[in-house]
Amino acid sequence: MAEDLRDVMVKGDEEALGPHIGVFTARSTDGRILKVSQDGGIVSAVAIYGLEEGIFDGFVASVADPDDPEEPWKPRPVVITDPDEVLEAAGTKYTYCPNVSALKEAITTKACESIMFVGTPCQVRAVRKLQIVPLGMRHFPEKVKLVMGIICMENFPYEGLRSIVEELCGVWMREVAKFDIGKGKFWVFTKDGDVVSIPIDETHPFEGEPCHVCTDYCAELSDITAGSVGSPDGWSTVIVRTPKGLEILQDMVDKGLLEVKSIEEVKPGLGLVEKLAQVKKNKNAKEIEEREELNLPRPGEVFTKV
Amino acid sequence: MAETVELSPTTRHEGHGKLVLLVDDEGYVERAFYLNTSAIRGFEAMAKGRPAEFVQVAVMRICGICQATHGTASAEAFERAMGIEPPKAGRQLRELCALGNRIQSHVLHQLLVLDDFVEDEKEKVEAIKRIQQIRKIGQYVVDVVGGEGIHPPNIRIGGMASNITETARRKLYRRLREARDLMEEQHEFMMDAIESYCEEEGIDMETFGKHDQPFLATHPTYGDPEKIDFDRVVELRPIEYYGKENLEIALEHNGQIPLYDGVPVEVGPRARYAVFDAVDARGVLYIHVYRSMETLAAIDRAMNILDELNTSAPTLAEWEPKAGFGIGVHEAPRGTNVHMAEVDEKGIVKNYRIIAASTWNFPTVEKAIEGEKADYAEVIMRCYDI
Amino acid sequence: MVKLAYVQLAGCCGCLVSLADTYERLLEILDAVDLVYCQTLMDEREVPSCDVCIVEGAVCLNHEHMVEEVKEIERKADTIVALGACAATGNFMRHSRGNQRGRPTHEAFVPVTEVLDVDYAVPGCPPSPETIETFLVLLLEGKEELLKPFAELAKKTSYCGCDLMEEIINKSMCMGCGTCAANCPARAIEMIDGRPVLNKDRCIKCGACIVSCPRFLWIGDEPIIKAFDVGKVEEGGE
Repeated sequence: MAEDLRDVMVKGDEEALGPHIGVFTARSTDGRILKVSQDGGIVSAVAIYGLEEGIFDGFVASVADPDDPEEPWKPRPVVITDPDEVLEAAGTKYTYCPNVSALKEAITTKACESIMFVGTPCQVRAVRKLQIVPLGMRHFPEKVKLVMGIICMENFPYEGLRSIVEELCGVWMREVAKFDIGKGKFWVFTKDGDVVSIPIDETHPFEGEPCHVCTDYCAELSDITAGSVGSPDGWSTVIVRTPKGLEILQDMVDKGLLEVKSIEEVKPGLGLVEKLAQVKKNKNAKEIEEREELNLPRPGEVFTKV
Repeated sequence: MAETVELSPTTRHEGHGKLVLLVDDEGYVERAFYLNTSAIRGFEAMAKGRPAEFVQVAVMRICGICQATHGTASAEAFERAMGIEPPKAGRQLRELCALGNRIQSHVLHQLLVLDDFVEDEKEKVEAIKRIQQIRKIGQYVVDVVGGEGIHPPNIRIGGMASNITETARRKLYRRLREARDLMEEQHEFMMDAIESYCEEEGIDMETFGKHDQPFLATHPTYGDPEKIDFDRVVELRPIEYYGKENLEIALEHNGQIPLYDGVPVEVGPRARYAVFDAVDARGVLYIHVYRSMETLAAIDRAMNILDELNTSAPTLAEWEPKAGFGIGVHEAPRGTNVHMAEVDEKGIVKNYRIIAASTWNFPTVEKAIEGEKADYAEVIMRCYDI
Repeated sequence: MVKLAYVQLAGCCGCLVSLADTYERLLEILDAVDLVYCQTLMDEREVPSCDVCIVEGAVCLNHEHMVEEVKEIERKADTIVALGACAATGNFMRHSRGNQRGRPTHEAFVPVTEVLDVDYAVPGCPPSPETIETFLVLLLEGKEELLKPFAELAKKTSYCGCDLMEEIINKSMCMGCGTCAANCPARAIEMIDGRPVLNKDRCIKCGACIVSCPRFLWIGDEPIIKAFDVGKVEEGGE
């Protein structure tokens, strides 16, 4: 008998995590997904489930070609309509990818009518705004079926990521099989099976400055947020925020597509997510204040100044 | 003693117009002047010195009801000027995009003229609902193929920005089939409405609003510059056309008056049927009939194109600027739409001319109104979907 | 019921078509107001006194009758709305410069926001049907708090894709999400290396890019939390 997610979920600090229904830890039960996914493969699992069930007819995400001769691992946004192609988009890329820009193609030449979007907290915000005021996006709001967010502290410009990997870690970009951030470190896994890590502090000089005015760590306005923080290796922390998100996840549990655990049973646990969320909020709130001293506008309020 | 009647602004059509009628004692119009009072935003002048790409984007904004035709005619003009050959699929998608627009524009016009023919509120509401359903499908075609339902940016010099997916093709086909059924119903409704209008008003549909002007059309669904002899086209300034004796009136008209062989011609749905199907129905209300029939034909043609379309074929030709002159013609919902472009070797526009579809019909509307009762002036004008 | 006039100046009618692209909901929207003037939809020939006047199109300063009409609007309407880029920002008519045969003197086109005390502006070429509908609902319900962004936008009368550089990228605000590119009605924006690059030959100066940018204008979390039931635990037993 499948579990009722309501029995597994706990509520965390909404101040830090944003409004939510509950949090739990989970991983996909599909070995193919786990083989290529970042952590528990939650995003890929939801996308494959939704595309196969016909809940979605388009999945907007990012893909990167690790073997690109010029710019290996540089992501580009894609609209995936075939569940078999979802795994090509698996894994976090740690550099900017304009996922929102692909939404126009999705609703026009690809004629998608029920879209699943995944993106960083700032991208989730962009999509949510467009669902309320779709200024240049005709008939867009009715076509968005699920917005998934990934937990994000900051992002790197492509050349920043490349510097971290090639200069600091000493690994060629084209040799990289996977990136990860966790346990206070930036990790690079190579195709040959080597693992290189550097303290996360060393990557700070390469962070994108625009990330420093963002106080959203957990994609607070998504339907579902997923990320590695708080859960053990190979598992993902899942924050369910909306009834729609809950319905989808529960159905996946019922169908045996997700293995779930209470986050209270695992280490490091929800406390770490809350702590890091608060760190981002405090640090970046201070940055915003400092910018105001230079008469620079607050994010989202530029329009009141021009 | 003729009296002068002014109707300004004329209503339930796009743009701004004014009717000045000289009416005899019996109430019949002796002379009609149909003046375009819209501001001249100056697309032709704006184009000079600007890159071709800017012009092709800007001119779509001439009309918010039939943008696809301007985007298409402009792209065609630049392609001919610079020797660019769009790939087959690009050309097919362009035609499809404009057909989607034709569908929505034609039925939108049926919505605007409802008040002329239908009194019963319930019937009107039913018709509006049906028209909106059909418009929704027409606009769906433009949204998917053109990238935006209004001012479709996928229409490019060189073809179309991108192809559509197989799924999109299937969805479009299915929706167009729905549109076919709805349109058949709507067509019957329009025919009944016009017939009972004629009965009630005691109008002979065969002669009401008839004129003897020639018809001009270049293609049933797309456009063909070879079908116009441009040596026979002149564009007159208002004073040249109306004469100094009508100076005051001429000064109110914005824009030029195009003539073919020195006389006004009719363009649009009836003209296309006259040229390509040899019909000769002179009563002005027949324009409504042919517009309605043409909507059905547009749906059929759109489905044909979808049948033939290769969704993995290239749609956009790469091009280099080249000096030259080219004419692009597209059959807009309202008639033959002509764009002419002269560019230099860098692709910068030296001269640009536009004969928008409705401008042909302005002087023709006058001929159709003359001889009829003044009360019918706007009903006749609206047949033309100015 | 709110008396609403819809006035069209120098424009293309595309904003009204966009409103009509609410399809099955159009009648509902029109039923919610007392439409007292709309030259494209009804036979009224003079703008009467009204609560709200929606203006589509730019003002041609060389068109005597149009200038008169604009002054009339100021006198007759309590609330003035600039709908669409031509009325709000001038749009591509910022490139108009006269000397066209047929009316060579029509050369100066300005957005209504520059000559009238406009209460709300909704940029975009055209604004999407859903944007117009949402705006109208807020207006009719008198939701002033939520209308604030539209009120602020009425103060910015000139736009260009370059704004993305000046207001967002130059201020280290751009997180490269691509919202601007998705919203550009002319496809003038390409995302390169995670930042927008403007093809200025395609830019029509409508403002859709920057107004849709979440870093330029944020609508607040509250409307979103409400609209999507974020954090809402459904009662059991239902």
